[in-house]
Amino acid sequence: MIYDIVLRLSYSYANPANGGRHLARLMPADLPGEQRLIAGHLEILPDPSERTDRSDFFGNRATDFTFRGAFDKVALNLVARVDRRGPLPPGPSLPVTDLPQALADVQSMGPDAPVHFRTASPFVPLVPEVSTYALAQTTPGMTALAAVAALGQALHRDMRYDPEATDVDTPMAKAFAARHGVCQDFSHIMIAGLRGLGIPAGYVSGLLRTTPPPGKPRLEGADAMHAWVRAWCGPQAGWVEYDPTNAVFAGENHIVVARGRDYSDVSPIKGVLRVSGSQSGRHSVDVKPLTD
Amino acid sequence: MARSAPRAPKPGLFDSYRALPGVPDELVDPQGRMRPVWAPLIAHLDSLGKDRIQRDIARGEQYLRDAGVFFRTYGTGSPAERDWPFSPLPILLPEPEWAQIAEGLAERADLLETVVADLYGSNRLVADGHLPAALIAENPEWLRPLVGIPPRSGHFLHFLAFEIGRGPDGRWWVLGDRTQAPSGAGFALENRMAASRVFAGIYGKSNVHRLAGFFRAFRDALNGLQGDASVRSGGKVGILTPGPMTDTYYEHAYIARYLGLSLLEGGDLTVEDDALMVRTVSGPVPIDVLWRRLDAHWADPLELDEASRIGTPGLLAAIRAGRLTLVNALGVGVLESQAMLAFLPGIAGALNGRPLKLPNIATWWCGRPAERDHVRAHAGQMLIGPALATRLPFETDNAHALAGQLRGAAGPLDDWLMAQGAGLVGQELVQLSTTPVWQDGGLVARPMTIRVFLARTPQGWQAMPGGFARIGTSADTTAIAMRQGSTVADVWVVSDRPVAGDSMLAEPGRAFARAGSVALPSRAADNLYWLGRYVERTEGLLRLARAYNARLAMAGAEPLRNVIAETLASYGLDPAEPLPAGLIRTLGNAVDSASRIRDRFSVDGWAALKDLEKTMDRMAGTVTAGDDAALAMSVLLRKVAGFSGLVHENMYHATGWRFLTIGRSLERAATMAELLALLTDPQAPSGSLDLAIEIGDSIMTHRQRYAVMASRESVVDLLALDGQNPRAILFHLTEIKDQADRLTGGARRGHLADFTRSVRAVQTRTALFTPETLDAAALRSLRGDILGLSGALSDACLL
Repeated sequence: MIYDIVLRLSYSYANPANGGRHLARLMPADLPGEQRLIAGHLEILPDPSERTDRSDFFGNRATDFTFRGAFDKVALNLVARVDRRGPLPPGPSLPVTDLPQALADVQSMGPDAPVHFRTASPFVPLVPEVSTYALAQTTPGMTALAAVAALGQALHRDMRYDPEATDVDTPMAKAFAARHGVCQDFSHIMIAGLRGLGIPAGYVSGLLRTTPPPGKPRLEGADAMHAWVRAWCGPQAGWVEYDPTNAVFAGENHIVVARGRDYSDVSPIKGVLRVSGSQSGRHSVDVKPLTD
Repeated sequence: MARSAPRAPKPGLFDSYRALPGVPDELVDPQGRMRPVWAPLIAHLDSLGKDRIQRDIARGEQYLRDAGVFFRTYGTGSPAERDWPFSPLPILLPEPEWAQIAEGLAERADLLETVVADLYGSNRLVADGHLPAALIAENPEWLRPLVGIPPRSGHFLHFLAFEIGRGPDGRWWVLGDRTQAPSGAGFALENRMAASRVFAGIYGKSNVHRLAGFFRAFRDALNGLQGDASVRSGGKVGILTPGPMTDTYYEHAYIARYLGLSLLEGGDLTVEDDALMVRTVSGPVPIDVLWRRLDAHWADPLELDEASRIGTPGLLAAIRAGRLTLVNALGVGVLESQAMLAFLPGIAGALNGRPLKLPNIATWWCGRPAERDHVRAHAGQMLIGPALATRLPFETDNAHALAGQLRGAAGPLDDWLMAQGAGLVGQELVQLSTTPVWQDGGLVARPMTIRVFLARTPQGWQAMPGGFARIGTSADTTAIAMRQGSTVADVWVVSDRPVAGDSMLAEPGRAFARAGSVALPSRAADNLYWLGRYVERTEGLLRLARAYNARLAMAGAEPLRNVIAETLASYGLDPAEPLPAGLIRTLGNAVDSASRIRDRFSVDGWAALKDLEKTMDRMAGTVTAGDDAALAMSVLLRKVAGFSGLVHENMYHATGWRFLTIGRSLERAATMAELLALLTDPQAPSGSLDLAIEIGDSIMTHRQRYAVMASRESVVDLLALDGQNPRAILFHLTEIKDQADRLTGGARRGHLADFTRSVRAVQTRTALFTPETLDAAALRSLRGDILGLSGALSDACLL
């Protein structure tokens, strides 16, 4: 499916800021076999005095930009065309109990190596309550792939989607205790649960198709940047991606922007910029299929 | 032939020294004889006698106190500065033995460089199975943003420290590698200064290798890493410090002064077009070599720890662009984890084809079944703890099991090892050698470790000949006993032949070059400016409070007392307190400003300021209102004058001094304007004019210049408009103008010109007044203008 994507983010300062350095990760990813970035342009207004486009450790596209003068508004406008095929069907998954040995055999430090995704990361501490919850959703002998789906469905069932309840800085454990949050909370909790089970898991930031195909329900999270989870199910199955907010495996409707251990590796914008007003009021996303 | 029996010699220190059975000792060899290297020192001590030794030791301790050497400690409550725990007797090692240590550590340093270059490069060690991937990937010190970025200098490691100890077999062992930001080299220098004072009678002729050559070589190596742009702009190498709240800040300031480097905090730096710049009073100046004393996580909030308030956004961009050398590179902390000790011997074997010359303590990573079983079977002789911990064996916390006893973790040892094996290492319990320590008039044996420093120079690794030793406070020789506390001692590397004297001063006959003046970082300028203001404010408030107390018992002085009381209250001082808390706070602000610029400050100036603070604290508890308080304040005023005298007599009149002077003059001029507005008002109570003259410290001058009773006009003339009176407003505005004229604007010329113009305007306006026209309203307006200069100065130089 080919999509035309328009993403507009705007920020304003209560007091005019003097200078500032920022880091954006907004450009959709190029993933051989899964997703192709046909064309993309990130416009930054006002024109930054410095700008560098590069890729980071995990292969995400990153843009460093700096302002020097005083200004009170910043806008980032992304226009991109992406051909999203969805992931290939996974190979056979290992049982959860066989993962430790498989992991010990992986002698790689590359960005996709599961070794980066096994233990606590800045936004995902290992919380015993989450591990216990995750364990309760699985059965003995279950494959890692089945465990991913089971945990994802359980979270979708037990958690309430509530954009007002949390913000980007709400700790994962707190969102879990209250059983509410947005895609970021759903994803962090699921990552913690999977890691608690011994399944390497990471965070994917991305975009959803804005309007559903005819006869299908609209996906939650399509009006802003979205997030979901990836999990490693053994050397043959490799990585699979699951969207706990919508209780589906990520597919054609999920456009990948960046991947990392958790939000801290992929946050769309870093630096002194702070969103003013409500996120929905200032941000807009349009992901339109070119062909239906 | 009969011979008279020799007189039995008085038993010496060595005779009464008892080494511990089965433990190697530095003074006594395995046969019970004194090691030859100690003989002269022990003979010297025997010749002095107990009392004299005690006096000599006191001299060394006095040196450390005078120099202000301290540790900042964080316990419960607020951070405190703790005295340096100096153990006077050095540890003596013969040169050949030291050479072996240095050679072994240089080999180890090269190995560490190879390993870290691989971990941030091709990752062969993991791919070939020499290192488990998880141990690296899960190490928080392995910094993903730095992967694939070769250091500009070609090396990750430039300055290292190793903690070594002597094992039961007499061989030296490495207990830990310090790579992130090794501390202690400055303290080693201070130890040497103190020890050379204690043993002044023998140090000079003991063939002890000097330390200065090592520091000179390292400084030259650092300067050699600079790029063209920095050299052209006259930039200096900087030391990047976390700031005054760090436990080792004293050392950062000390070593910056000693090596002539700039002491910089993250906030002093900014990145422009991928180049690192220092924010100075003359605008941004490039800098491209930093000796980093800041842990990597804090270095760049944009790409490392977002919560950091002490980093520099964009620092990583400068590194990626190849515009910056950090000593050591970011990310090398990954080498410090305890688990690394389990794999380094194997890596050395694979890469060098032979074992390390200087082994490290035996360590087993519990992430593999065979090693885990070994640790379980020998848990009684092991210390078991977190694999990724970077602490040294004697700094362990409660997350460890010692000799099979679980300290912090719950549950049986076996469960712990099974559940968390990959996160644990077992280490053999380290036994240390002992060294003599002076205690209660004799020598006792105490365990010790030595920290050795290595610097990379163009000629290869160079070891500091000496270092500093930690010495346990009890006779328990298990390394872990050092947790109970330790003292530090100097280490003397003793040659058979005389060694050259040495210091950091240039050698005679060497070409004399005057270093260009280096731009002053804005933060330092800001602190100097506020130091000037706060010290001056302290003095002004002391004068007011003294006048108040002196009039406390005076009949009819109540209206005047009320005027003073109101003024004191406007500065937050409660006149009812004999020594107001607000006064102590004001001085505290001065001390705080000074503490942030210790590298720019003479040791004497700092001591004078601390002495003032200590005296004031002491008096606060004992002084009573009235004449007693007035007397106390006179004492304090003399101490303030002592500090000001030291600063203004001894401080080099460079840019920093100008900011200090501007701060002082601005505060004095503004305060005097306020005071005169109050006291020369026609409605002011009687005695006001005399009070003004008293506070202006101008009683004699007034008597000489105006052979009349004080009148409003004579007082305003003397204290506002007299260009010769160092208490007068005009005098200080002229001073500010003179200093402003000497500041060079550099890239901030425009802003500086604005400031200079404002100063001139205020100064000229003041000069045009006559005693008649400078009434209370005019004085108040003048005060506002003077205080307004502070903002203009900030805009010009300090932001």
